[in-house]
Amino acid sequence: MIEGAGLRCCEYAISIAVGLVCLASSVVAQQPRITIGYVEVAGDARYEPITAYGRMVLKSRERPFTGAQVALDEAQALSRVLKTDFALERITVKSPSEVAAAVVQARDTAGIHFFIVDAPVEAYKPLADAVKGRDVLVFNATAADDALRRNVCAAELVHTAPSLAMSMDALTQYLVSRKWSNLLVLEGPLPADTAMVKALENSVKKFGARIVARTQFKPGTDPREREKNDPALLTAGSRDYDVVFVADSAFDFVRQVPYHTVRARPVVGSIDFEPVAWHWTWEHNGAPQVNSRFEKRSGGRHMEGADWAAWIAVKMITQAALRTRSSEFEAQRKFILGEGSFDGNKGLAVSVRPWDHQLRQAVLLAAPYQVVASAPVEGFLHKTNDLDTLGDDEPETPCRLNR
Amino acid sequence: MRVLVFVLAAIILALPPAHAKDTGLIFVSNEKTNNLIVLDPKTYQIVKDIKVSRRPRDMHFNADHSKLYVACGDDDVIDIIDVARLEVIGKLATGPSPETFALDERRRRLYVSNEEGSSLSIIDIDQNIIVHEVPTGAEPEGVFISDDGKTLYVTSEVGDLVHQVDAEGGHVTQDVAVGTRPRRFAATPDGKELWVTAELSGEVYIIDRGKFAVTGKIEFLPPGMRKTDVTPVGLAMTKDGKTAYVTLGHAAHVAVVDVPARKIQGYILVGKRSWGITLSRDESKLFVANGFGDDVTIIDAKTRKAIISVPVGRIPWGVVIDD
Repeated sequence: MIEGAGLRCCEYAISIAVGLVCLASSVVAQQPRITIGYVEVAGDARYEPITAYGRMVLKSRERPFTGAQVALDEAQALSRVLKTDFALERITVKSPSEVAAAVVQARDTAGIHFFIVDAPVEAYKPLADAVKGRDVLVFNATAADDALRRNVCAAELVHTAPSLAMSMDALTQYLVSRKWSNLLVLEGPLPADTAMVKALENSVKKFGARIVARTQFKPGTDPREREKNDPALLTAGSRDYDVVFVADSAFDFVRQVPYHTVRARPVVGSIDFEPVAWHWTWEHNGAPQVNSRFEKRSGGRHMEGADWAAWIAVKMITQAALRTRSSEFEAQRKFILGEGSFDGNKGLAVSVRPWDHQLRQAVLLAAPYQVVASAPVEGFLHKTNDLDTLGDDEPETPCRLNR
Repeated sequence: MRVLVFVLAAIILALPPAHAKDTGLIFVSNEKTNNLIVLDPKTYQIVKDIKVSRRPRDMHFNADHSKLYVACGDDDVIDIIDVARLEVIGKLATGPSPETFALDERRRRLYVSNEEGSSLSIIDIDQNIIVHEVPTGAEPEGVFISDDGKTLYVTSEVGDLVHQVDAEGGHVTQDVAVGTRPRRFAATPDGKELWVTAELSGEVYIIDRGKFAVTGKIEFLPPGMRKTDVTPVGLAMTKDGKTAYVTLGHAAHVAVVDVPARKIQGYILVGKRSWGITLSRDESKLFVANGFGDDVTIIDAKTRKAIISVPVGRIPWGVVIDD
């Protein structure tokens, strides 16, 4: 493998200041360069490892920067053909509220047009306001919240992470296809758990499943609250169900649910059977090669959904340069938001929905060691693109970026 | 670009291969079960199950068909099979995950794409050393060699590129962008056109070899299929350069194309994930490997109908015929 001269010089810059020095020093390079800003938040709680008692790490939760790097590696040959360099500029800010300013500053001082933002949901509204009408395109690689697509609804944003609505639709399609249509729902105490159940309710209505009971659980061992913390008691209701759906974003209580239910029923949602953007065991569509490049790059880590979302963002940008044969941002932006369709290595080509800028894509339904199915599940059809059976179709969202 | 001269440990047994000409035997590589299935040309019964290295995929005979070379992706080797004895008699070491390759016996060279190495290895067959490692775009796949042996063509599945490579010098001379995920090649017999399948965009791209530029494309859509299911991979062309057959992967059809007119003449139903395709020497029959059907479909080329599908084992990848 050839190390592209200067190609990676900026990758590890940890502040805008350092990044700018780095950019300045690379001006000697003859070729034009497309730099992609990667904005992250220091101390982002979403990347704290999830541990069990005794600091046993259950999930290490790494940032998806490696995904972006893999796509940059893949663009090396394109770089030669297009006579254009591609670079990643890592920008770390101290809090979600600083994301907007960092993006604007990188645009104004370093001429960066493309950004991947890896930040908690609260960063996006101020960001959307700050870049409104500007010549930037910001890829949201990690925030699944439906409100970003429906209410923030910004023309400068592209959501490469599947929305919560898409994930719940994917899961529900599969359950319905198996005729496991009766769900017992156990809901955690966090707002993210409530959001997940809310999205599930929509999906259930959409695809003709049924929530037979919905109960809040409360993690703990307090015997006085055993009705709320004992999986057996929580699943002992008189009405039968086909599956137990658990919304537990903390990944705590849910670990005790499988095999502790009163009835012999599978557990889905936050454990055992999860809708994800990517899984390391997906073996179709050239996925093993992507996984293998990722694992080499990351030192052995498995590629996950957020990594895919960062990876595809970079790929969309490099492909736009190839397909438009243009180094102009405007032409590339138009291609990405318009006719561009991209190989996401999970079947049907991915593309941006014109109404809310959500990337339409397959959602994988993953067990720990196997992708059970890929959604859209066979039989769920759409009049134009089956991928639009997942998440907000045009008539279903208040967001109208194409009008 | 750097040249790697990389000596690899390899074993080539000195046994001279026994001879048996034109047996008509049909060889099918099975990705998942690490074997080649050999079918009788008349009865289509399995006559031999040859254990090979892991994940056998592309296969090529040498000129006199005494040997069959098989790229085995999970062991980074090319196994050599004695066609008369139907046994593995040697191995050539390759780069990581060899997928498809081309053979040039005169120059004693083998050109193999390393799916996971983003390179094309040029191997000296006699010494089993890699004389050049040519960097390509990510996931190189199809390899095609010109008749004079001087020019190679390689696709990069991730880069959406076809590279033109100087076979002797071992470096890329030109690149051309094609459709999404380019896979395999076929050339018109007049040497003017190179056809390449683009799996994800559901097309065949036609490259003018003189200008090394795209001069046309053909888009496939069998009746009742959705565009997104159409994933062309394999290509076979008749010797008169009039007809091409294209396997359409998940669309479970083979497209028949009028080559000079660049028009689709029809579609033949086969199994799922149809990839490998080969014509019998008399061009009366077509053999198609159905990766997700675990079988091979045999087609009458004249009536354009499937005659039979024969179960062969898990995930058949390619078919070649000793005729």
